[in-house]
Amino acid sequence: MKRRTFLSGAAGLAVGLALPYLARAQGGPLKLGVLTPLTGAGAQDGPRMLKAMQAVVDEVNKAGGVLGRQIALIVEDDQTNPEAAVRAAQKLVGVDGVPVIMGTWASAVTSAVAPVCWDSKTCLMTVSGADSITQLPHQGYIFRTQPTTTLQATKHAEYIVSTGAKKVAYLAVQTPFAVTMKDIMTAVLEKNGSSIVRGVVYEPAKASYRSEIDSVLAAKPDMIYLNSYSPDLTVLLKDLFRAGYTGGRFTQSYAYNAKTAESLPAEVTDGLVAVQPSSDVDSNAYALLQKRLGVASPDSYEAQATDWVSLTLLAIEKSKKTSGADIRDAVRSISQGSGARVASAVEGLKLLREGKDVNYDGASGNCDFNEKGDIIDCRFRYSLAKGAKFELIKIV
Amino acid sequence: MDVLQLIANGMMAGGVLAVPAIGLAAMYSVLRFPNFAIASHATAGAFAGWIANASLGLPVLPSLIVALLAGGAIGLLTDEFVLRPFRRAGFITTAIGSLALTIGLENVVRLVFGNEMRGYDLPLARDVVLAGIHIGPQQLQNVMVSVVVMALVFGFLSFTRMGKAMRAVADNPPLADIKGIDARMVARIVSFMGMGLAGLGGMLIGLDSSIDPLTGFRVMLPIFAAAVVGGLGSIPGAVAGALVVGVAEELSLLALPPSYKSTVAFLAIILILAVRPRGIFGREAY
Repeated sequence: MKRRTFLSGAAGLAVGLALPYLARAQGGPLKLGVLTPLTGAGAQDGPRMLKAMQAVVDEVNKAGGVLGRQIALIVEDDQTNPEAAVRAAQKLVGVDGVPVIMGTWASAVTSAVAPVCWDSKTCLMTVSGADSITQLPHQGYIFRTQPTTTLQATKHAEYIVSTGAKKVAYLAVQTPFAVTMKDIMTAVLEKNGSSIVRGVVYEPAKASYRSEIDSVLAAKPDMIYLNSYSPDLTVLLKDLFRAGYTGGRFTQSYAYNAKTAESLPAEVTDGLVAVQPSSDVDSNAYALLQKRLGVASPDSYEAQATDWVSLTLLAIEKSKKTSGADIRDAVRSISQGSGARVASAVEGLKLLREGKDVNYDGASGNCDFNEKGDIIDCRFRYSLAKGAKFELIKIV
Repeated sequence: MDVLQLIANGMMAGGVLAVPAIGLAAMYSVLRFPNFAIASHATAGAFAGWIANASLGLPVLPSLIVALLAGGAIGLLTDEFVLRPFRRAGFITTAIGSLALTIGLENVVRLVFGNEMRGYDLPLARDVVLAGIHIGPQQLQNVMVSVVVMALVFGFLSFTRMGKAMRAVADNPPLADIKGIDARMVARIVSFMGMGLAGLGGMLIGLDSSIDPLTGFRVMLPIFAAAVVGGLGSIPGAVAGALVVGVAEELSLLALPPSYKSTVAFLAIILILAVRPRGIFGREAY
């Protein structure tokens, strides 16, 4: 056998052996990471966010996938627990090699997971509100569809002023945003002739908050801002009722959700005002989301989850590459700008394949990001608890 | 802040904590290992009571009995089939086995009932004010249930043959064996009683707040602190320990922000182990 024949034969053999592997690497499903609370305080929202993401993925897979590949979500439970979340994130980036992690909910969890993500050049998409998160040195890898604490606190304080409340008590579960939020609200309230008469940061997961409530009521507030999570909010609302408090109460919808409402008697909850960043309920993307999930009014978390996975897929198609850094660099080129406005991943992917530019307007909002990775604008929905139902007060 | 009000709040919290703490102490005194599975049995009892109360429409008191029986029955089964095989391998292995058991059982509850919070079907009453101290009628009722249960447990241990046998095994297992006491039967009875009290305690805690699969896990630390402070294995000690931990947690608010409340239970454990490792009442079972 001549040397050349041997060499080309060997090379051919090597390529032949490697082919199935190469084919698998190219044609195998594209893995995306989901890290969301399936247990713990966030367990009311995590599974729904996951479902919303899976629904988009199913839709895109049916329409041919992205870059000719099917998409598979690799799901881990963050347990609403920073320590468990970091372990899960390390598994996602180390073992599964995902370019993006979507779904962290609690700010403490997101803050803990973020360094794992930027160190491994993995994008992180989150609903966590703490301002500190996008101030981390994340090199552009964090995208947040939730309004920042500053934006939220300002709007909430403006609403409280509009109710005429003068003496506001601030009762917050220990979170990275508890103190920031109080400072911002204090500033807005004082500018408008109100003030915070008592601020208490309490520990999560206690069976009783009577002494904390006593301390707050001693200041005779006419409005109490309950910056809580569901388990402690239930206890607080009951303890406030027992203590005979009849003034205003204001909380976040992630704490007072449909399930919380069901677990409490109406006399305890009636009159409570709950606020949440509103989905863009008039948008096409929202209408598509309603249809996709078969739900009459998907909430802001389902909307944001829909937008993360859509943005990721569009960014991959746009850059024609699948690394975390490529996604990071491409997101703003499909989320904002002068491209054709699209309301779903399938629609956007089709246009991108035709070589056109797109601007994704999502179900949670128009998904325009600033240089820190925060959304630029957002609407808020205020609802009134009545029985186990919610009455819309306004969306502003 | 009103010190008397804080003490009252602490006594109420401690009174309820005492029930599972007694269960833990009783099991420790006889079986000689800290049974961490008490957390998930408290949760299981709370959910059994919830089925009785919210689904079947039973009033609270019969539902509490259901919680007790369910906690006890599950405790009996898990001890027989999960923990007993571990006991030969020693104290640490059994304790770790009980940790694994609590995680497993908690997730069984999660599988069956899901994660959402549930409330018992009972009317909420406004507080009554007694001598300037306001107290919830439900809390009072819970504490009364605790007191009755404690009295029954003491009566059982003092006056019944089985109760005395249990104390004998706790005091001196070889001697009890020579006297012909069936240690295996005593182990079964104490598992039933201990986990039954955990189940009852879980529901008592849930009555005042709401329940979810983590209900028992959240109170595990204060329960352990109560048992350690009182002298692990001592039943009157568990009651005293629960009251001390309950009141200390509330009184800490005078000096510390509320976000440090749990520290008190840890500090109590460290302090007692450093100063008086036998606990307030020592290691006497009774």
